[in-house]
Amino acid sequence: MTDQRTIEQRLADLVAALPRDVAPPDDLWVEVARRLAPRRAGAPPVREHSGRWRLGRFPAAAAVIVAVAIGSSAVTVMVMRQQQGRTAAAPPAQAVSLPVASTLPARFASLERDFARSVTYHQRVLDQRRDSLAPSTVATVERSLRVADSAIAEARAALARDPGNRTIAAIFASNYERKIDLLRRASELAPRT
Amino acid sequence: MFDATVGGPADRAEVSRIARAQRGDVDAFAELYAAYAGRVHALCLRLTGNGAAARELTQDVFVKAWEALPAFRGEASVTTWLHRIAVNSLLMQRRADARRSMRVSLADDDEAAGMAGEGTSAPVDVATAIDLERAVAALPPGVRRAFVLHDVEGYSHEEIADMTGLAPGTLRAQLHRARQLLTKAMSQ
Repeated sequence: MTDQRTIEQRLADLVAALPRDVAPPDDLWVEVARRLAPRRAGAPPVREHSGRWRLGRFPAAAAVIVAVAIGSSAVTVMVMRQQQGRTAAAPPAQAVSLPVASTLPARFASLERDFARSVTYHQRVLDQRRDSLAPSTVATVERSLRVADSAIAEARAALARDPGNRTIAAIFASNYERKIDLLRRASELAPRT
Repeated sequence: MFDATVGGPADRAEVSRIARAQRGDVDAFAELYAAYAGRVHALCLRLTGNGAAARELTQDVFVKAWEALPAFRGEASVTTWLHRIAVNSLLMQRRADARRSMRVSLADDDEAAGMAGEGTSAPVDVATAIDLERAVAALPPGVRRAFVLHDVEGYSHEEIADMTGLAPGTLRAQLHRARQLLTKAMSQ
């Protein structure tokens, strides 16, 4: 009886010591995010594949997508040129071109991971709808995304070279936000059924 | 929309995250996922006793949570709400599996009785009395569910009855059976 009580107490102690948290696999969020249906404020969840997506019905929205992408790139190019001008005017010792770091400083790498997570989600929503899109729509969106990616890459490289530059840091974040906004707007082009 | 009475900054941040996620902000939902995925996954692992099934169940829980979030009013804690979704999802899966395999009875007692041999026939390596997780995983499903929710997660009989629809007598019997099987495994 005493042995039984000892065992029961030991069981209770072991149960009490069990971890309350067990981290799920790292990639699980990606799978969850892929399955999240977009929804609008005040509206019930909207299922993906709720209808066909035709750019022709939403010319203004499509124009915004292109404008967002172009705007993103233009600002990046402008500031990068300013940076290059400053670099050229700097003393030779500081003008040495540093190799582009493959990784960003920790605080930006963390920021980039957060952005990448959002991009992944919106990109997957878009990818799932690709087959139902008009080819011209796909082409427009992809062109805009390439411009956005290019702007991000430029800002990223500049930030890796000059991590203390707040202007570049702001542009880096802004370019990601613009890409996410672009993807979000593209998703919202889906017609209501 | 969620409008819970809140205390400190952490609570306010939580309320803000929930409110943003309710409006469709995926980033806010990702933050909720980061905060609760460990708790949910731990429960799913123990409820299913299987890594692959736990992964699938955890995924289902968060997808369903996203869909149900606009209706979340903060009447229960987020953890309890997510756990309830996990239990409901598991029960639905089991019922679907049962229908597929043309089982006639879905009663918990029958399930527990039917699975008892299967659960106890597997050799449980508790020679060191440390691998409790493994011993729990080897419990029959209905018995395991009762044990995990009551003894591990600390839910009351009433809360478990609310989650699972189990009658109090059935729950007590399953808890007794679980402790019996575990203590037996530990004493071997």
